[in-house]
Amino acid sequence: MSHLPRLLALLSCLAVITPASAADIDASSYGYPISNPFEATLATTPPALRPELPAEADINQRDYKIKLRPEREFELPDNFWSVTKMRYRLAKQPGEAPLIFIIAGTGAHYASSTPEYLKKLFYGAGYHVVQLSSPTSYDFMTSASRLATPGITRDDADDLYRAMQAVRAQHPRLQVSEFYLTGYSLGALQAAFVSELDETRRSFNFKRVLLLNPPVNLYTSVTNLDRMVQTQVEGISNSTTFYELVLGKLTRYFQAKGYVDINDALLYDFQNSGEQLSDEQMAMLIGAAFRFSSADIAFTSDLINRRGLITPIDYPISEGTSLTPFFKRALQCDFDCYLTEQVIPMWRARTDGGSIAQLIDEVSLYAVADYLKNSSKIAVMHNADDVILGPGDLGFLRRTLGERLTVYPLGGHCGNLNYRVNSDAMLEFFRG
Amino acid sequence: MAKPISLAVLFTLLLGSGLAQAQHAADDDGFKQPMQHLQFNPGLDQREFERSTLSALTVYDPLESWNRRVYHFNYRFDEWVFLPIVDGYRYVTPTLVQSGVSNFFSNLGDVPNLLNSALQFKGKRAMQTTARLLLNTTLGVAGLWDPATRMGLPKQKEDFGQTLGYYGTPAGPYLILPLLGPSNLRDTGGLVADFTAKSQVNWLNIAESSTNHPEITLLEVVDQRSTVNFRYGQLNSPFEYEKIRFFYHEARKLQIAE
Repeated sequence: MSHLPRLLALLSCLAVITPASAADIDASSYGYPISNPFEATLATTPPALRPELPAEADINQRDYKIKLRPEREFELPDNFWSVTKMRYRLAKQPGEAPLIFIIAGTGAHYASSTPEYLKKLFYGAGYHVVQLSSPTSYDFMTSASRLATPGITRDDADDLYRAMQAVRAQHPRLQVSEFYLTGYSLGALQAAFVSELDETRRSFNFKRVLLLNPPVNLYTSVTNLDRMVQTQVEGISNSTTFYELVLGKLTRYFQAKGYVDINDALLYDFQNSGEQLSDEQMAMLIGAAFRFSSADIAFTSDLINRRGLITPIDYPISEGTSLTPFFKRALQCDFDCYLTEQVIPMWRARTDGGSIAQLIDEVSLYAVADYLKNSSKIAVMHNADDVILGPGDLGFLRRTLGERLTVYPLGGHCGNLNYRVNSDAMLEFFRG
Repeated sequence: MAKPISLAVLFTLLLGSGLAQAQHAADDDGFKQPMQHLQFNPGLDQREFERSTLSALTVYDPLESWNRRVYHFNYRFDEWVFLPIVDGYRYVTPTLVQSGVSNFFSNLGDVPNLLNSALQFKGKRAMQTTARLLLNTTLGVAGLWDPATRMGLPKQKEDFGQTLGYYGTPAGPYLILPLLGPSNLRDTGGLVADFTAKSQVNWLNIAESSTNHPEITLLEVVDQRSTVNFRYGQLNSPFEYEKIRFFYHEARKLQIAE
């Protein structure tokens, strides 16, 4: 019987020693309506539950371009004329204001839907906003990346940092009170490395950095995504391909509805109709989108570096040349194939060898674990059902970030970024 | 007697909900392992993505080389001429006026919509579009406002290309038209037919007056570009040409089927 007090004492000691733990948002009070992670990833939040955003016409914004890699104009074939200069979007506030950089996710353009949404959110809260394409995107690779072989996170962060410095230099009159940084998905992983770089280069002295749904182990994430096209999808046969299946469903959905209406709520309504997609079919869609990004990366990297894996070296390409044969080749290379055929050989040649395990360690969040642990300006928001995570990844974040990690119970991959509860938390974090 | 049955029902319900929860149960870290519940192809060697995509790439495009050059021409024109004009128009015109202009031309566009709905014997749609035309032209002051949409009569586009497709005309070779963008032989014919119909009907006398006042046509074109959200480079892929071709092809199929 005398064990009990001792045990209690021990337990209370342990409770004192345990570091501050992550903020886990309670599932019952969270109120996010989509409990299926794949549906959340694809459809995001129903429009009624999104935050109020400023209208397009009320935002003073423009797209700018900078010549960062002048040699690309001469290295690239004629039909790449539009991506030899780096483009970005800047939304300006009338007077002095804080500036926030937004780094897009895998393969995403600076003007794709998530960066646009984040821009509106932060612009509405009084920030100057700069939107940058992902280092894995086609335009960034051709115009701003030194090696044009994205995947080595430290190099990608370096490219991003130079791009940010160039952006700042292009607007010397813009009055900036302080700098902030955010990124989602792969952009969040890169934001962590950019922030670490900023500790030594000191161009911005970011006041706060927010990572939204970052991959923890990059290899786990790309493996998950590569695997999604391997799901067993019902309804495909020798005569019906996967796209025909999905488009057939969409056609029947519109026929039942009576008219074609493509809007923000389309996917959400669709999933609540009789034609809804199964988990496997949704996973296949997410996987397919990722494969298209992988194909773009594999093709572009190979072409710029003249590796001859997809496009034969010195193959004449003009504006009228069909790229379809190369598209077909690139499509058959998933991210894993890109890593083994292009990234790893280059990395080995440049850094004198190393195993794949070492590469994974170097490009994942593990590489900046100590920095994340000790830097109180960085916070992470993640979801308990994010499809790019693997077992143990949340544990790593909990150990590393402690109370600076917020885990939402639902949302899939980035599906709840435009949920009002999340957007409030994001603004609150930057407000400090 | 009712009791054991209801108990059994309750039991199955509980069991069912237990199972449902197990599906989303979290591990020690609070991670829900969403990938674990998917059914995977056991060998992980399924080639469905490749098969679907390669077959989607086969759109009849014998003029590809020409089309690609026009695509690049349109891209440059958009960037250097069209979009700067559209931006200027947006800058000098109040939002209310912009939406008035859009509504006005959209009301004119309901004329071919009506004709084509009628040609396809889509009775309900033809009636709705007639009601739209009448409401918007009268209550909406010559179409400057769009009260019909607010009354639950959404705009339903039907063009002559769709009508031809409805009666089984094949799409023909894919075409990129200078300034107008992606099309095919059938839809290009449809475009000409719709334009002719519009000028014959001469709704609100606009078609006739625009022959003397080219600025009306210019305004229509600028308005159209400013309401279309597409920007070249937006798909951000070296294979944008192929992707647009696929989307156009499928979107038309969908519009015809619906």
